[in-house]
Amino acid sequence: MIEIALQENGNVSLIGRLDAAQAAVAQDYLDQAGVEFSLDLSGLEYISSAGLGVLLKTHKRLVGAGQGLKLVNVSHHIKDVFKYSGFDKLFTIV
Amino acid sequence: MSLAMFSRSVSELDGIVSFTAQAFTAQHIDSSLRHVIDLVIEELFVNMVKYNVAATSSISIEINGVADGVEVCMIDSDVERFDPTAAATVDIDAPLAERTAGGLGVYLVMKMVDSISYEYKNRSSKITFSKFLESQAGSKT
Repeated sequence: MIEIALQENGNVSLIGRLDAAQAAVAQDYLDQAGVEFSLDLSGLEYISSAGLGVLLKTHKRLVGAGQGLKLVNVSHHIKDVFKYSGFDKLFTIV
Repeated sequence: MSLAMFSRSVSELDGIVSFTAQAFTAQHIDSSLRHVIDLVIEELFVNMVKYNVAATSSISIEINGVADGVEVCMIDSDVERFDPTAAATVDIDAPLAERTAGGLGVYLVMKMVDSISYEYKNRSSKITFSKFLESQAGSKT
């Protein structure tokens, strides 16, 4: 399951597992999340290629609006997946 | 040995994660391997579902703890041939405009496992892969 929450600072947090079963839910939320926010991944336990697709589509949308997806509090496991997929070169990871 | 059958739906993923957790606990498999095993099973399972939409059979997943690692066997019966190990690679250095999520799952599988084999016999696809602790900290680039 994935839980998506808007933080007081305007960031969006993803909590749980972003897999193929949850990707559509996350995509629907992020498609309507405006263009100025960071994604807080401190609670994200797991991501698969379906989740990477969600982040990629969101990043492209934000780049098109002159921004870009910023990721904060990324765990070791998630960073590994970013590294293997080359996504560590696409996003700003704080 | 832990064995379970799952119907052809991504809604089964939660059940697969629970099964994998139980298998790791029951066989005392090192939990540091869980993340990779969860990811590889999901990617292969989703591919089996996606590339054989006409199939109705369940997909079996067998997990075996081995010395310093784990071996997983997935069997998809009465399906057309689909060999993920022969899938085209992904250019992870491509510019953003050219990047898509397509093919990324299989690419991750091939990068993260230590061995993988595909066999197609009597209309059944069988994929066997392994992951070992000694390679867990390293990256295959």
